[in-house]
Amino acid sequence: MKIKGKVWKFGTNVDTDELFAGRFIMGGDETNSEAYRQFIEASGLSDVQFRANVPKEFLPEVKEGDVIVAEENFGIGSSRQQAAETLKFKGVQAVVADSIHRLFFRNFWNLGCPALDIPGISKQFETGEEIEIDLRKGVVTNLSREKEFRFHLITPPWFVDMVEAGGLIPFYKQLKS
Amino acid sequence: MAMTIVEKILAQKSGKSMVKPDEIVEVSVDLAMIHDALGAHTIAKFKELEAEKIWDPEKIVVVLDHYVPNKDIDVAKKCLRIKKFVIEQGIENYYEVGKGGICHQVLVEKGHVLPGMVVVGTDSHMTTSGVMGAFATGIGVDEMAVVFKTGKLWERVPATIRINVEGILLPPLTSKDLMLFIIKRLGLSGAIFKSLQFTGSTIDEMSIESRMVLTNMAVETGATNGIIEPDQKVLNHLKPKTNHPLQVIRSDPDAEYAQTLEFRTDEIKEPMVAMPPDPSNGVWVSEMVGTKIDQAFIGACTNGRLEDLRIAARILKGRKVSKYTKAIIIPASQEVYKAALKEGLIEILAEAGAAIGPPTCGPCMEAHMGILGPGEVSISSANRNFQGRAGDVSAKIFLASPATVAASAIKGEISDPREFFKEAR
Repeated sequence: MKIKGKVWKFGTNVDTDELFAGRFIMGGDETNSEAYRQFIEASGLSDVQFRANVPKEFLPEVKEGDVIVAEENFGIGSSRQQAAETLKFKGVQAVVADSIHRLFFRNFWNLGCPALDIPGISKQFETGEEIEIDLRKGVVTNLSREKEFRFHLITPPWFVDMVEAGGLIPFYKQLKS
Repeated sequence: MAMTIVEKILAQKSGKSMVKPDEIVEVSVDLAMIHDALGAHTIAKFKELEAEKIWDPEKIVVVLDHYVPNKDIDVAKKCLRIKKFVIEQGIENYYEVGKGGICHQVLVEKGHVLPGMVVVGTDSHMTTSGVMGAFATGIGVDEMAVVFKTGKLWERVPATIRINVEGILLPPLTSKDLMLFIIKRLGLSGAIFKSLQFTGSTIDEMSIESRMVLTNMAVETGATNGIIEPDQKVLNHLKPKTNHPLQVIRSDPDAEYAQTLEFRTDEIKEPMVAMPPDPSNGVWVSEMVGTKIDQAFIGACTNGRLEDLRIAARILKGRKVSKYTKAIIIPASQEVYKAALKEGLIEILAEAGAAIGPPTCGPCMEAHMGILGPGEVSISSANRNFQGRAGDVSAKIFLASPATVAASAIKGEISDPREFFKEAR
């Protein structure tokens, strides 16, 4: 399975309060999926203009299929799944970082979006470059620089199948039927 | 082959004779917790699975804590959905406002968490429950929905970093000062996909309440979990609360650790304060003394327990909170609240001019009861001080022990609790 997209370069310690502030946690109506989606998308990164670790242009310009490449410790903090959901709903299809906090890592994969922790990878990308990720081969490529990097995932063997199914919930339903 | 306590628990719960760090295992879950903040969300996902009955209602604990008493209509709606689900599914372990308190306190206090268990919850500070010698960690709502259905969870076996601490911590130094010191050394990402195991004479001497600060904040280093081997204190705490047999699992003497970090309490020369914007920014309190504050908060799953209220009362007794400072004190649970009432602590704190709240997570994570406005400065006994964590993005949060928070409340600026502690007898 291959993923291709435009890179947004983030800094270190992008925390879950930054991705999705506490005051919005109870706001989305989880019984109405379209209303929920709109609320979660609109409420994420609410104060990002004051944060140095996210590019100013990200919020107005992010497009479906874009990929975040971040420095150390992406997603540190809370278990709130909304932090992962808001990125997905804004169009981000994968996060690649030098290191990723366990909870964000699991939450993002469970939504059907790969989160790849590859030590040192952030130095190989800048905002605006093209990235390609081959999940089964374990290769990430900076297409703009024509440079390949191998990675090794420490995840259950069914993780890429889960992404292909669209996430944990659809994957589980598929297994059952 | 020798294993750590965490490796032994994960081996046992995955039906293997041994496991190694970074191995992927599927474990049986012994206890699963949801709360008001992500409970309704979990239930919606559970329904998406077209599941009817949860795998084992006896293994579920539901605690309403983050936004109770219900903050607004959105919260009330979600709590109603949770209550309906609890009744439909026959979940007995349900804690309404007024009966429980903050989930991590309730899980330990009521004896739900036993040594050797695998415990999960929709909350990053689930690591707190590791104080009972359990493997306890947070998960998101999609995974919790699947746990509700299957009782199973995959986990990457964490390599263990041993944190060994020797020496005596003399009050007003507390385990909070120690933990801020440890986090400063390990850093915010020093233990990602690893486990922190706390050992040593300092830990042996500590109360369970003090130990909970260490396991609670283990996640602040990125750790999967924090854990302490169960000792007689843990067994004595649990015996009157459970009919289940108690198994004591300990790390083998020759277990392999990813790293052992040695600490001595005499390295902690002063109370610690973590400056914004993250918990690894610890400095000595003397470096921050004089910083004006607007709010002083004692509470949260980190430091809202009886011994925290005791030390705050010892400092605030006969004194007043500064005129322009809001002191907010929130007991971590109904049990803590009742005990504090009985001991007269609530009276001392209220006399001093502190607002006493009902048990709730409250202002720690921008839920309610003490949200910070633009530019406000707070000193807090909670566990996180990321930008915007507890209110406006321009507010600043300093993390400290309840003793340091209480001393700071009196002066309206960050203060050294030792100044008040000498006389307060």
